[in-house]
Amino acid sequence: MSGLARPVRSIFSFYLFLVRRARRTKAFALVALLPAVTALVIRINAWLTPGASVDGPAVFANMVLTFNLQFLILVLALFYGTSISAEEIEGRTLTYLTTRPVPKAAIILGKYGAYGVFLGGMVIVGVAAAFAILEADRLADAAEWLVLLRSVAVLALGLATYLAFFTLAGVLLRKSILFGLMFCFGWENIVPYFPGATQRLTLMHYLKSLLPPVATGGEGRFAFLMFKLEPSAPAAAVITLAAVTAAALGLACWAFARKEYSFEE
Amino acid sequence: MPIAEQGYTHWGGRFVERRVPWGPITRLGVRMAFKRKFFKLAFALSFMPAVVFAAGIYVSERLEDFQFMFKGRPGSTSFLEVNPLYFKSYFAGDFLLFMLVMMMVLGGAGLIADDLRSNSLQLYFARPIRKRDYLAGKLATAGAFVLLFTLAPGVLFILLKIVFAGSFKILTAYPWIPAAVVLDSLLLATFFSAYTLLISSLSKNRRYAAVLLFLGYLFSDLFFGIFYGIFHNPAFCLLSIKANLQQVAAALFRVPPAFDVPWLYSLLVLAAIVAASAAVLARKTRGVEVIK
Amino acid sequence: MTAVIRTQGLSKWYGNVLGLSDVTLEIGAGITGLLGPNGAGKSTFMKLVTGQLKPSLGRVEILDRPVWNNTALFARIGFCPEQDAFYDELTGGEFVTRLLELQGFSRAEAEERAGKALRFVELAAEKDRLLRGYSRGMRQRLKIAQTIAHDPDILILDEPLNGLDPLSKRKIIRLIRDLRDAGRTILVSSHVLPEIEALTRSIVLLHHGKILAQGDVPYIRELIDKHPHKVAVTCADPRTLAAGLLGQPSVLNVQFGPEAGTVVFETRDRDAFFGRLTRLIAEGAQDVEEITSPDDNLQAVFDYLVGT
Repeated sequence: MSGLARPVRSIFSFYLFLVRRARRTKAFALVALLPAVTALVIRINAWLTPGASVDGPAVFANMVLTFNLQFLILVLALFYGTSISAEEIEGRTLTYLTTRPVPKAAIILGKYGAYGVFLGGMVIVGVAAAFAILEADRLADAAEWLVLLRSVAVLALGLATYLAFFTLAGVLLRKSILFGLMFCFGWENIVPYFPGATQRLTLMHYLKSLLPPVATGGEGRFAFLMFKLEPSAPAAAVITLAAVTAAALGLACWAFARKEYSFEE
Repeated sequence: MPIAEQGYTHWGGRFVERRVPWGPITRLGVRMAFKRKFFKLAFALSFMPAVVFAAGIYVSERLEDFQFMFKGRPGSTSFLEVNPLYFKSYFAGDFLLFMLVMMMVLGGAGLIADDLRSNSLQLYFARPIRKRDYLAGKLATAGAFVLLFTLAPGVLFILLKIVFAGSFKILTAYPWIPAAVVLDSLLLATFFSAYTLLISSLSKNRRYAAVLLFLGYLFSDLFFGIFYGIFHNPAFCLLSIKANLQQVAAALFRVPPAFDVPWLYSLLVLAAIVAASAAVLARKTRGVEVIK
Repeated sequence: MTAVIRTQGLSKWYGNVLGLSDVTLEIGAGITGLLGPNGAGKSTFMKLVTGQLKPSLGRVEILDRPVWNNTALFARIGFCPEQDAFYDELTGGEFVTRLLELQGFSRAEAEERAGKALRFVELAAEKDRLLRGYSRGMRQRLKIAQTIAHDPDILILDEPLNGLDPLSKRKIIRLIRDLRDAGRTILVSSHVLPEIEALTRSIVLLHHGKILAQGDVPYIRELIDKHPHKVAVTCADPRTLAAGLLGQPSVLNVQFGPEAGTVVFETRDRDAFFGRLTRLIAEGAQDVEEITSPDDNLQAVFDYLVGT
């Protein structure tokens, strides 16, 4: 294991540098800021419209968090997770990595770490900006900051898990994007609304189980996200997500080390 | 020995006893079957009864939700009444539009992206092919798939209705339907081809183009939902590709639109996307790449 | 010779297609040329030796260690791949520096080594330009820079002179020879025979996935009995010379060349032939200007063995 630390660090550093340079990163960064932009539009509309008010916490939960949890982290994890192996193969640059004294597992782990850190930062900035805009009048309320922190933690954990899952998909499958789109916008967005045990077959169920509970005695702000949710215990949810992340990464490293890649001119 | 004998040499390895000796034969047989074209079609079609029966199980549990198929909902006709609304429901149906997007994702994302990656544009334009020929060819590739699922079934529906009814009543009662079928099919083909090529030309990476194609469609509808949910203003439907297509389809088939927004505005939005596509494609499809 | 690269019964299948069959080989210090026509198995062999592919049968070892999934070996190996692929968002300098960091060098040392390698391949002035702005020749030189930057003991070069102009080719050939003289082991694959000939006389010739010939070019030539040796003599009176040698049993065929004064002899016994020729010259019977062996070269060996 100690033999992996240095190569993982090298790969991490390389790809953290490279991902900042890529053009598509700027496009995704704009997408990550869309909720903040939307929040700004809503705020400006409220200021300009006499008598209008904005229920900041509700909009944050039902728009910003929903967008990030049910769409953005899925899309980012899908693209970047599958890219961990696919971009080296499509770009034919894999040879430069596999002919270095760098274990193949380090390539997977290093890139996973680099993309995870970068994407996490992108998501957190977008969410924090939207939060600051929507709850500008409640920033002194510590409870709201706790909601933000918990939400950011859920998003970060979700990103880590989905990124690992799609890393594995990218290593194992040729048409990983198609599989990923079906998984994200078919399975993960529909099955969580199935009653009973079925929803436990989705990762989204465990993430939603970690959200702040719906307030009793009225509509809680996370009502939309919690719709039909029969939440698992938070500890079980965290353990499940961590286990899926570890298993997916482990399998990805194992499979990647055993696969052969041949580029023809 | 420096020069080796090139004739037959006996293989010097050893045979390994397999636990399941017929396994490789079976695997090869299955693989070879899938290489036959019509086998794949038959394989796919064979799933249809299973799909229909699975849907039937779902329907059997939710009968109350499906009674509208036979009785109709208040203020609208029943599903099984074939009229302009029936056609509009097909052409502007959420599922069909979603599947058209998926087809573009699968089959269209790489149309230009792959050429940009492999620097093939120079090869194209070294032939007696103009840029418009190249783009027309690419547009037709995407458009053909769309027409296969719009114009072809649309015409088939009309013909089947005439044949099964034994009369031309559908045409006498609703004479605009054939034109609407053709126009809406062309609209969908033109829009989706242009949209697909626009996204495909933005990157050399086909996977990135595939994700953007999907995202653009999905997010446009998502943000429409968000703004509509907050402001309750139907004008926000202009943000959604799906809603715009549905508004125009409603106008063509002369049925009430879902949103109280002039259909011309929706058409203008779609036209703007097509125009943007034309402008971007003209810039991106060059034989020479300008390096800054 | 101590083998640095060793293969034993090395075979590779792609499904039902045989890429390489039963290749047993030892490559030591110096330059070894790997050649063969398209589809011969050169690429497959290079990929097996560099651990990109796993052998279907047999073994491939470098420094007595198996190559597959043994990435520690690559601290001592430099590989120049055939494919023209880079990280387009990087500059040339960043590309070499970052790859050196993956080798385990610190940032400072990586930058220093990268600068030295880029200066050598004459890309120092373009090191801050994005790779997408590099020409084909510049990219090829960059590949060579990343191959040598970490000072490896073993170099595996897959078509290293592709896309280079003649001056650059000469420079790279000189570099490769310098590395040979420093005791490195170098395996070069090419389908351009003059390039291989400029580098080495020691070749491995592949055809249809098998080793066709291996060793020193002249020695291999000697063993090709089917094709007698050709000796071209330019002299003042070729017909008299031909008459003087026609009676020799070692002479199989005589042909007068297109240029005036040239006659080409075919012989199975070069020693006997040259013995008679030198006697004729010494006796003053002939005024010979030039003697050459037109087919004592790699192209002829290649053509004779591959059968084109």
